[in-house]
Amino acid sequence: MIGRRWDGRLEMTAVFSWGFTSLAVATFLGMLVLFAAQSLPLWRHAGAGFLSGTTWFFRAGQFGVLPMVYGTAIVSAVALLFATPLGIGAAIFTAELLPRGARRTRLAVKTAVELLAGIPSVVYGLLGVLLLRDFVLRLLAPWDPLSGDTLLTGGLLLGIMVLPTIISLSDDALGGIAGSQRLAARALGLTRAETVLKVILPQALPGLASAVLLGLGRALGETIAVFLVIGRQDNQWPERLLSLRPLTEAGQTLTSKLGGSETFLALDDPLHWGAITGLALVLYAGVALVSWIGARLALPGGGRA
Amino acid sequence: MLDVIRRDSEESDPAAAPAVLAARNLTVSTGGRALLRAVGLDVAPGSVLGLIGPSGAGKTTLLRCLNRLIDLVPDLTVTGDVLFHGAPMYGGGGRRMDVDSLRARIGMIFQQPVVFPGSIADNVLFGVRHTARLPRRERPERLESALREAALWPEVEHRLGDAAASLSVGQQQRLCLARALANQPEVLLLDEPTSSLDPRSTEAIEELVLRLRERHTPVTIVLVTHNLRQARRLADSLACLAVRERAGEIVEQGECGELLSRPRSPELIHFLSKGAPL
Amino acid sequence: MRRSVGRGWIDRAFWLACALCAACVGVLLAGIAGAILWRGLPVLRPGFLTAVSSEAGASGGVRDEIVGTLILITTALLVSAPLATGVALVHAVYLRSLPARRRLLVALYTANALPSILFGIAGMVVFSRFFGWGKSWLAGGLLLGLMILPTLSVALIERLRSLPRKYREAASALGLTRAQTVWSVLLPQCAGGLLSGALLGLARAAGETAPILFAAAVFSGAGLPSGLRDSPVAALPYHIFVLAQDSFDPSVESHLWGAACVLVGLVLGLSLLALPARLRAHEEAQNA
Repeated sequence: MIGRRWDGRLEMTAVFSWGFTSLAVATFLGMLVLFAAQSLPLWRHAGAGFLSGTTWFFRAGQFGVLPMVYGTAIVSAVALLFATPLGIGAAIFTAELLPRGARRTRLAVKTAVELLAGIPSVVYGLLGVLLLRDFVLRLLAPWDPLSGDTLLTGGLLLGIMVLPTIISLSDDALGGIAGSQRLAARALGLTRAETVLKVILPQALPGLASAVLLGLGRALGETIAVFLVIGRQDNQWPERLLSLRPLTEAGQTLTSKLGGSETFLALDDPLHWGAITGLALVLYAGVALVSWIGARLALPGGGRA
Repeated sequence: MLDVIRRDSEESDPAAAPAVLAARNLTVSTGGRALLRAVGLDVAPGSVLGLIGPSGAGKTTLLRCLNRLIDLVPDLTVTGDVLFHGAPMYGGGGRRMDVDSLRARIGMIFQQPVVFPGSIADNVLFGVRHTARLPRRERPERLESALREAALWPEVEHRLGDAAASLSVGQQQRLCLARALANQPEVLLLDEPTSSLDPRSTEAIEELVLRLRERHTPVTIVLVTHNLRQARRLADSLACLAVRERAGEIVEQGECGELLSRPRSPELIHFLSKGAPL
Repeated sequence: MRRSVGRGWIDRAFWLACALCAACVGVLLAGIAGAILWRGLPVLRPGFLTAVSSEAGASGGVRDEIVGTLILITTALLVSAPLATGVALVHAVYLRSLPARRRLLVALYTANALPSILFGIAGMVVFSRFFGWGKSWLAGGLLLGLMILPTLSVALIERLRSLPRKYREAASALGLTRAQTVWSVLLPQCAGGLLSGALLGLARAAGETAPILFAAAVFSGAGLPSGLRDSPVAALPYHIFVLAQDSFDPSVESHLWGAACVLVGLVLGLSLLALPARLRAHEEAQNA
């Protein structure tokens, strides 16, 4: 029996520990339930149309998530396309290719990367507003953008933000491979590149995949920085799904919508509020799923926990 | 300072072939402190040189100098030289040589078998696919001959596609041998290859060493071992390392039987009197 | 011995490609640090930290914002620490099976990755409306505390996991009960881990805007909170967030850099304080 010792008396420490844990679990699950419950008016009104709708006019009671899902997807894709090769390449460099005695350099680099992972999103947002915006405006000049607030800006900023996460986790993944593998491969006559590509990477793949997935999770959930540079334009549903045109235009993501003034506005209208919490529900489910997969890959089964 | 004791090759063979591998005044140090000091030895082609001595004397360090694997250990300085067919590995222009090709010609087996991801066939051909760029049609033949030499073929010929990790430890060690042999090396460096194996696998590997020596194109072997019975059985000549003045040195070397029955240096006498390995 | 041209070329090209990635990353990160320092440091006259913000952020300092942030993160820590300890003890001591422990750890990692805006929205419903607190500093503290709970728990679990088994075994052999082992042996040994985890959690909480967006923070008119209902606070991240949306006034811009510098300084300061403990733990793990 939980909390009871062999002689039947209550072990208070156990009771409190289990109590606190249950409270924590309940709170997190409670959030999910809260969103589901609060969004009921929406589901009754729009049903699955919410998930397939491409317009959002709250005054007219039209609610569709697709443009925001699209925005989230584009922005995250750009971020990962930017950060994954750069991050894994940098991690391979510091973990495998630096001369053997550079231990202190490696530690300094790892510390620097971790500190930069800690920079608040609002500061990244500020950098985006004051520096990146103009850069993208000039970059996209041939395509005549309306402003520097575009999906591309959001994607690039996100890419910079998840870079430290990907580097740090990839470095952990590479470091987890036993040194004897490298020695044996080199003793066989393989070059550095061959050792990394044919021996190390195949074994580090789950860890690297988890690094990318957890980076993706962060990208999907980032609100403040994206909010500031994305233009917050609703109903940006592209005519052709695979065109690059939307990158030069403003857009909206799930998080930028949730972080905006409309959330305050919606609190008094059950349907509108239902739509907002419906967005929250979709966001919760999406990020939880991606992160859960990433976490499972990062923690090898059974043994070490 | 110990004088280098050269193996007196004139006594046994007037037309002795030059040493395939030789160390000259080899010293390995870290941060000012020497690990190995002034090591000198010659390995005659086709022979088996045993390296014996107490733990910590630097046998593994010495072995890793022989194929430049010492480069991968941080914070170590190597002075002196190792000659492969007379060509220096460290001195002169030696440092700029193609180490990867060198390591394909000088194979190494470690104390614990190190198996790469992939199937048995993948593992055996791992080195040869890269170092020799062996064309695809020749691979099955090389695969089979390497596995036969390592006495593993009968046990795996019907499951070459199985994961290499599914083999027992003894089989994995023989797999590592097959992998090294697939490169068709001139020299094999064995670092206590049987210390983590059961008696049956130990027997198999010892038989393998004997066969390699008797081959039409014999492989030269340097064998680090803790086991005096194994040394007596397999080695032609022995070199004994021990710690003197806080660094490893060769205290005695010579023909195997001679050394073991009439040891001269105090460290070797002490080591032999212990009976069991230290 | 000449190297086969193909393999040597591939090896060099690979090294170059990876080095290029590392260089790009280095330049990027150095640029970010440089920009913040170069633009922000000049603004940090002593008065900046002690003056109240005025003229809608175009001048004055960030005193109220600093105070507000400190109030929020202190509350967050007080809420989170006991809960995190409980979770960590369940993982390390009370859960018997390995799969269950792994499931808990996976759950913690997943919870850690949840978007912070969700806390903000949930907080608005629960605290602002349902409890009727309006905007309240306590709501902010609770939400931030909940948000950093996984971070603290994981830090503590890692520390507990790295404790050598011999401590527990010796305690049991002496006849200590499980609870006594926890309080006399385990927790004291992990004080370092709890401290470093707490500092990291605080660093994260200090920088978050989204959880306090709706239920706790205001831009102006907030000094020290008085009571529970309708007593919001100012906060550094929220301050920067509001101003950044309207950043075309040059004097506002320099004020923004200053505020960003203070915030980054606070966050990095807290993270750096945690560094010695984490480096030591890392070393121990390596040598084990």
